[in-house]
Amino acid sequence: MRAFYTLLLTVFGFWAVEYAIFHTDAYYTILRHDSSTGSVETYVRNELKRGRTNPHQVLTIGDSRMGFLPRYANELAPGTGYQFASIALGGATPRDWYYMLRGADPQANKYSAVVIAMEDYEDSEIEEDLSVRAADLYYLIGRLQYVDLPYFAGSYRHDRALEWAAARGIVLKGLVYKRDFQEFLLHPVERVKLAEQARRDSFFWYYNYVGPNQSMEGVQVDFVNRTVTVPPGFTEAQKAAYTFRFLAPHPPDHGVHSEYLHQWLGKIYEHYHGSKTRMVFLHLPRGPFVRPDQPAVNPHSSVRELAQKPGVLLLPEHLFDLLERPSLFVDQMHLNGPGCAEFSRMLAREVARELDAL
Amino acid sequence: MLFNTTQFFVFLTIVLAVFYTAPRFLRRIILLVASYVFYLSWNYKFVVLLLGLTVVDYGAAIAIENAAAARKKPFLLISLAANLGMLGFFKYYNFFVDNLAQLLRLPPHTWALSIVLPLGISFHTFQSISYVVDVYRGEQKAIRNPIDYALFISFFPQLVAGPIVRAREFFGDLDAWRHPTQEEVLRGVLLVVLGLTKKMAFADQFAPLADSYFQNLAAHPGGFAAWSGVLAFAMQIFFDFSGYTDMAIGMALLLGFHFPVNFRRPYLAFSITDFWHRWHMSLSRWLRDYLYIPLGGNRGGRWKTYRNLMLTMLLGGLWHGASWNFVVWGGYHGALLSIERMMGRREFEKVPPAWFYPVRALITFGLVCVGWVFFRAATFADSRYVIGQLFHGGRQMEALLPRWLVYMTGVSLVIAIIEEKFDWTEKLSRGPAWAYAAFTILLLLTVELIGVTEKALPFVYFQF
Repeated sequence: MRAFYTLLLTVFGFWAVEYAIFHTDAYYTILRHDSSTGSVETYVRNELKRGRTNPHQVLTIGDSRMGFLPRYANELAPGTGYQFASIALGGATPRDWYYMLRGADPQANKYSAVVIAMEDYEDSEIEEDLSVRAADLYYLIGRLQYVDLPYFAGSYRHDRALEWAAARGIVLKGLVYKRDFQEFLLHPVERVKLAEQARRDSFFWYYNYVGPNQSMEGVQVDFVNRTVTVPPGFTEAQKAAYTFRFLAPHPPDHGVHSEYLHQWLGKIYEHYHGSKTRMVFLHLPRGPFVRPDQPAVNPHSSVRELAQKPGVLLLPEHLFDLLERPSLFVDQMHLNGPGCAEFSRMLAREVARELDAL
Repeated sequence: MLFNTTQFFVFLTIVLAVFYTAPRFLRRIILLVASYVFYLSWNYKFVVLLLGLTVVDYGAAIAIENAAAARKKPFLLISLAANLGMLGFFKYYNFFVDNLAQLLRLPPHTWALSIVLPLGISFHTFQSISYVVDVYRGEQKAIRNPIDYALFISFFPQLVAGPIVRAREFFGDLDAWRHPTQEEVLRGVLLVVLGLTKKMAFADQFAPLADSYFQNLAAHPGGFAAWSGVLAFAMQIFFDFSGYTDMAIGMALLLGFHFPVNFRRPYLAFSITDFWHRWHMSLSRWLRDYLYIPLGGNRGGRWKTYRNLMLTMLLGGLWHGASWNFVVWGGYHGALLSIERMMGRREFEKVPPAWFYPVRALITFGLVCVGWVFFRAATFADSRYVIGQLFHGGRQMEALLPRWLVYMTGVSLVIAIIEEKFDWTEKLSRGPAWAYAAFTILLLLTVELIGVTEKALPFVYFQF
């Protein structure tokens, strides 16, 4: 029996050490704050400890296209009556949004509304199948718990290898953290200092961010002749990116993205179902130039179907059309500093108006 | 089914569970079936070859034992011809005909065939040869039970890459099989985890660097780059092969079999003679017993000893692969061994004083690394180029070895020195449970946090 008990001790000990390091807050103290995992953790934890000056809280979420900067929205607080915050993160997807929202608001009772930024309201197909996006495991590993294993790993059902990697990653989180850990071993002292500084100051780094100043002024897109012209100073890579964004054919619609959005926006709805929190969807400004081949209205899209349910609002889809100008964009997709400021103020006013109207 | 995959661990768990729950009389059959399932998972076509050689050697051994003294030799020759014939055909046919074509100034692949090397053929043929030769010499009784013999040849922990087990060791365990002791179970598990750590956390970390250097030499000119690439390969091959061997020994132990030690911290060797007492020891032993000693060993005077050493090492080199590079690698080691003999055998077998040991070990390691160039480079021309870069690489300072791998090399060295002095991995399975658990947990965390787990890289020696 000695061997049995020793091996049992080994297995239990390994589980205990793994759990203590990766399933508690311990690893966060050395996690690189600007890694994918670190960004999610930093945003969510900053949101959890953020000072609240107002009982009426609004939280926004989205990806890098969500140019919402809470500082501009909160300057309007005396008028709007709401305090705004954002956990929108570059590269985050609806699957990430669900787990980030769950982390920031586990009881679904902190916010008057959560505002979700959508590329459009029609579930238009995109190039990438987000249901098999491996990066989500890395974004979310700090959020995932053992109980998430069946649902989260199962959400990769279209790719067995990824499904297995996700399941394995949730049980043995070190497998996912390993790159970060190896970097830590190379520069442990610097990392600890940086992580400490990020824990202390990162809220203000992000809150005081004002966005880039460059703009797309001078860039021209001729949709008839299908050409893009850029002024001096722009690179060929930039021109190629603009050409792809504005002139490349849309990917064929197989309903893959729609299915994905139904799943994950539905999951967010489930989280807030029956709570006082409203789900508010907004249609992001489409870009500095608007393609003439806009998607047709899809009455069965995820957001349009959700909008039929109680507690879900859709902001007018053309609300931000007037921001769709080269002077307010830094590139083919992202608002620049002035664009973000204007967008943030507009969004704050509109959300407050919609919520007050209820 | 690589040892470093989940699939294999599922297989191993099932085998262990079935083996220990089955009635005793079925256990050999279970192991045999498991071994053939393991082999089939690689390439089902070559099972026929494995089975064929098993039948030939099984029959030859019985025939040798039954025959009168004067009539034993033909059966031995039949067995040798079958084993060496198959090995020769699958492994060396193309090498031979390509060189012949070159000699006759014909296009290089005039007679070449598209041949796939059967997995583990170099190992199981050597094991078969040793068995039949032992029977011929009267040192081993012919095995009458075909299941036992088939199991000896195909036993899955060592089928693919050794260690090369002697018949009397294997059948000694099989005939007097007993449950592994508590210590053996603990040691077996520890060896499996240790082997996995060596492979995934060390070998696979060094592999990309060694590959990137040797696969694109022109991109990395200079002596520093060359030494980085060679050092990376030296680390890769040691951790890869000794990791595999540790796992094989550990698994065998869990099944009640005792395999010989195959590696004993070879990079701490203080001479080339010492190196070969520490590196792939089961092959060294095989070469000594079935090649060097039959050639006359050191019994025919100095020059014959050197000749025998050279021949043994040349053939040992060729055993690794069908290319002139391996022949040169073997010859290089044969020459170094001969030189050490010339300079006085005792000098190179006697442990040097502590103050001088590091110098000797460093020189030996350097010599071994130079030899690895022939082992790893794709062609002889590449080997010559790398050797040139090692010693006349110019002033380019690009050292490919990143800081991460320098640390890992340092950690490996420290662990090896501690292990050399205290032999603590051996003692752990006899020590307190907390110490065993702590070390094994450390290994498991190392695999988890440092190991290459995204993709299961094959073991280097599987190609041989």
